[in-house]
Amino acid sequence: MKQLLFASALLSTLLFAACGDKENPDGDMAEMALNFTASYGGSPLVMFERTYGYEADMDFKMQLFQFYISDVRLLRQNNGVTEEVPALDVDLINFAGVYTDADAAKGISTETATIPAGAYTGLRFGFGVSPQLNATIPPDYPLGHPLAENYWEDAKSYIFFKVEGNADLEPDGDFSDKLTFHVGGDNNYRELTFQQNFSVEKNGRLEIPLAIDLRKILIAADGEYVDFRQVKQSHSNTSPAAVFMAENVPQAVELR
Amino acid sequence: MKIKILSLLALAGALALAACNDDGPTGCDCTEDELIEAPYNPQPYELVYPERFPRPILPEDNPLTDEGIALGRNLFYDPILSSDSTLSCGTCHNPRLSFTDGQATSLGVLGLRGRRSSMSLANLAFNANGFFWDGRSATLEEQALLPIEDHLEMNETWENVEEKLRRHPQYPALFRKAFGIERKSEITRELAAKAIAQFERTLVSYNSRFDKVVWEQQGWPTDSEQRGRDLFFVEFAGNTQDHPGCSHCHGSALFTENRYFNNGISDVDGLEGFPDKGLGEVTGNIYDNGKFRAPSLRNIELTAPYMHDGRFNTLEEVLGHYASGGHGVINEDANIQPFTLTEQDKQDLIAFLKMLTDTTFVNKPEFQNPFE
Repeated sequence: MKQLLFASALLSTLLFAACGDKENPDGDMAEMALNFTASYGGSPLVMFERTYGYEADMDFKMQLFQFYISDVRLLRQNNGVTEEVPALDVDLINFAGVYTDADAAKGISTETATIPAGAYTGLRFGFGVSPQLNATIPPDYPLGHPLAENYWEDAKSYIFFKVEGNADLEPDGDFSDKLTFHVGGDNNYRELTFQQNFSVEKNGRLEIPLAIDLRKILIAADGEYVDFRQVKQSHSNTSPAAVFMAENVPQAVELR
Repeated sequence: MKIKILSLLALAGALALAACNDDGPTGCDCTEDELIEAPYNPQPYELVYPERFPRPILPEDNPLTDEGIALGRNLFYDPILSSDSTLSCGTCHNPRLSFTDGQATSLGVLGLRGRRSSMSLANLAFNANGFFWDGRSATLEEQALLPIEDHLEMNETWENVEEKLRRHPQYPALFRKAFGIERKSEITRELAAKAIAQFERTLVSYNSRFDKVVWEQQGWPTDSEQRGRDLFFVEFAGNTQDHPGCSHCHGSALFTENRYFNNGISDVDGLEGFPDKGLGEVTGNIYDNGKFRAPSLRNIELTAPYMHDGRFNTLEEVLGHYASGGHGVINEDANIQPFTLTEQDKQDLIAFLKMLTDTTFVNKPEFQNPFE
């Protein structure tokens, strides 16, 4: 009987070890998450109360800023070759509950991923929902999963990011013009790569801080901007405003 | 001797009367710990729903069984849960009205009106974002506990309900069949709530004309229905195109994602001014004031009057409100924007909304009152 128990234990151990090898050739695991802080031209991005100055004497207040990130991978070198280590499939970063500077400084973190402990040389992820995941639909996921909502049925796409608020176009203190920009579609997916060394020890935690500046999404480096007097609402994957904003994403995100 | 015999008879009569009283606590607990004689062989129930729906939430500690659902259905329709045995859950949640009651706000056992309208119970199994208009219960099991002790609803105590159920001629056996308890004393409010939640999870509505035409490709929409659908779902709107934007809050195959919004119905001076703070009352967050759960539009034709306080009697009034663009309160959803709504638009949108009526659901025999 003891022999049988021992054999069972050995088999279990071998099976476990085999699984472990497959998941992580290095054997030692650690935790990882991304933390995003949002700003508008250097000011913390908070919802509702704060007035942000905009181009051409316009002002606005925020109500919602959210975006998907997907295909999060860490980069590492292996004999001179850059390897991608998958970390996280997808997450929704939602600043709707950020009301104060303290909230804004704290930022919004992704769910925690498990990665092999070790040294890394960079980070790569998609801003939006990767084409592979964008080909799925909400019923493919349990309720509560990030991809269980924010889907455009007719466009067959998730809404990659939303910017909503109230604008004062005159300006006369009247924030009655509502802004709603919703952007999706594979054409607006952007892959971002950052080169920086990270390391995390066995059972340790790596939190990678990223900053996103909404001003740089609304206003391009050459000064062109989304003119709220011309367009207050764009729910589209092809409208000029949607494409413009998506094109500006790479300049708006940085590793801190 | 005669006096002794009369006294004994009177005592026996009093005891017999007390033992027969099923309607309320009497202080006698002589039957509550009895063994229950009934079989326990629960049969798993497979919830049927279409692929286009999200996956239902089926708690591991409360799996659906035929026996649990049968018990829940009995409890749902039994006025024994109310203090004067006049109201059941089904009083305010009538299946013929998609489990609403046709009232602006519901009437409780004391003749007092609640402050909110009865919500439809269709497709509750697919809600991960809280129940009631304000989301104060995270699960159906939690939700089922609250109306019993609300003095504006059933105005009863769970202690009394448990005692009534333990003394009841049928319920102990039904509880044993559903949950395998051995003694009457094991009947609890938690098990009652679990059974009610099981029954409620079976209330799945997916056989409307919209489902037949759009998803199952049986037949065609009328021109009016199609135009209404286009207006409802229009997303690729230019700056000058009218854009009702209904699907922002009423999207997905459920016609809701059970999110909370200030949909612009209240004209108040500031965030503290809402007569009913809704979600804000639960979270304590001032920016949640005036936000309520967006209900599903499935069976909307049957669930008038509309909004959390039943202020609109007709769908025409509802559409008129949305077309007006709200009142500009700071946390009013940004998608509440004024749009042109012609009489034709209104008729077309309503034609589309009526496609969501599911008569199979409201007439399904398994959902009806078993006591009628």
